[in-house]
Amino acid sequence: MATTKAEPGSSQRFEKDTREKIVSVVRHAILLTWSFVVLFPLYWLASMSLKPPGQANTLPPDWVFLPTVYNYLQLFQRSKFVTAFGNSLIMVAASVVLVLLIGVPAAYVLSRYDIPMERDVLVWILSSRMLPPIAVVLPFFFIFRNLNLFDTRIGMVLMYVSINLSLVVWVMKAFFDGIPVTLEEAARVDGATRFQGFRKVVLPAAKPGIYSVAIISFIFAWIELLFGLVLTNSKAVPVTLYVYSFIGSRSIEWSMLAAASMAMIIPVAVFLILVNKYLAAGLSFGVVLKE
Amino acid sequence: MSTPTQTQSETRTKPEGKIARVRRLWNDHLPIWFIAPMATVMVLITFFPGAYDLYLSLIKEPTLNVFAADFVGLSNFSTAFSRGGALHSLIITITVVVSALILESVLGFVLAALVAGVGSGRVKSFYRVLFIIPMAVAPVSLATIGRIMLNSEVGIIPYVINSATPFTAPAFLSKMPLLTVILMDTWNWTPFMFIIFYAGLSSVPDTLVEASRVDGAPLWRRYVHVIIPYMKPVVFVATLIRMIDLFRTFGVVYGLTQGGPGTATQLVSINIYEQMFVNNQVTVAAAIAVVYLIMVVALCNIVIAKVGFDGVWD
Repeated sequence: MATTKAEPGSSQRFEKDTREKIVSVVRHAILLTWSFVVLFPLYWLASMSLKPPGQANTLPPDWVFLPTVYNYLQLFQRSKFVTAFGNSLIMVAASVVLVLLIGVPAAYVLSRYDIPMERDVLVWILSSRMLPPIAVVLPFFFIFRNLNLFDTRIGMVLMYVSINLSLVVWVMKAFFDGIPVTLEEAARVDGATRFQGFRKVVLPAAKPGIYSVAIISFIFAWIELLFGLVLTNSKAVPVTLYVYSFIGSRSIEWSMLAAASMAMIIPVAVFLILVNKYLAAGLSFGVVLKE
Repeated sequence: MSTPTQTQSETRTKPEGKIARVRRLWNDHLPIWFIAPMATVMVLITFFPGAYDLYLSLIKEPTLNVFAADFVGLSNFSTAFSRGGALHSLIITITVVVSALILESVLGFVLAALVAGVGSGRVKSFYRVLFIIPMAVAPVSLATIGRIMLNSEVGIIPYVINSATPFTAPAFLSKMPLLTVILMDTWNWTPFMFIIFYAGLSSVPDTLVEASRVDGAPLWRRYVHVIIPYMKPVVFVATLIRMIDLFRTFGVVYGLTQGGPGTATQLVSINIYEQMFVNNQVTVAAAIAVVYLIMVVALCNIVIAKVGFDGVWD
């Protein structure tokens, strides 16, 4: 892009205006193209889930069709799908509660107290996320069998906690760092214990962070497949795993597959849109937040 | 929980009720109580798996009694590399990680810069929300989308290529599976880079950008010399986190190709899974896992040490 040397006059202004217009058109052309790339696969999946099975994969495609919830009704009549969906909801929700109970207080301490080798502790916590789950799941497969945790919801909850703990600690530490210490000091002058100061003053101030980190943890656990694949069999199967049962067989049940996939995407998409303001902080382990 | 501290406080003060004593113990050692559960879980999920993988990789076959195991030295490792396809899967994995990382970073940054420059706030937030939606798609759903849209017989994408362009659609999943996996991951996770870069761009002070504009720096110079250096910590963290997550890739490939055709998309995670649950070669699987663990953790630590987290933290 050539910069025009100072050459005052209306022709330059005119040139600048047109250039800005061209830039704007190109900008929106690219952005709209990407919007299409983002939306079309989702539209396609959604439309397939709303077509009657016979119409689902005809070519040329029926662009105009009468939407039906038939597939969804069928899906939710399959007890196994409902069980898996419920399993996922319960296990993921429980894991989020647990990971917050463990992670938030720890993050508070890391933020407020002088911890020996704090930098190393933080890198160590981050390193738990570097471990490829497949390498982690192997030992847990054996230990779960010995402890009778195999194919149990409790076992899965623990694994989901392990996915998200580092995230919670890092993000919440950044959040607590941003809350002035004077707040709880004032509370302690008024006679509150340390714990009361934490619970009644610091926690409410950190609420936005807790909400967003909870939702992001929910999402990461919700989309997890490997742990379900290795550590469950029938009772604690998560929905991610059940969806594969439409693929595995010789003929693929396209409509049901599409409906099941949509049923998994919709709640997460809603959550993502809800926390989009805090998403960057959560995904980057709080680093963006500190800027 | 009778620790020495408890008895001490008992002798020092007037007799207290049980509840008061517990409360005292709780409040006096708050940092320890607060951090202990996290530390316990962390030890369990970081040290234990690595140690157990190492143990499994060195024995003949798993036994109930850890000490009765038959140690066989490094033979599992040599099996992993000679017959287990360890090297092949490592190369495939690195190919996917590097290409997806580059694609997602560049695309994410360009999109973030374009959206950041949009004049109207409402349009801006429209794009911002829209562009993050692919992240809601779980690997299993992504594999579904891929199977539906790329299928040579019933897929819309081959159909459009065949009927609307002079080209013949390639058989995506059988002829170019690796590229397909990379592109699908790009669709799925470019939003991650986008949203972090977008936040990073918004944090660049206007005055800084304005100053370089006044100096007459052209657009690309403004990015290369002012904006990107300022955003370095954000770029670094986003890339590191995404790299870590790319090494975990499993679900999409499992759902799309199960590692095939042949071993064309056999990422390390797929390879370990197959060795363990299909071939029943637990010790070989563990050997690959050990190599992989060491490699990934070492790589991440090198990156952290080289680039430095300090700019990020302080």
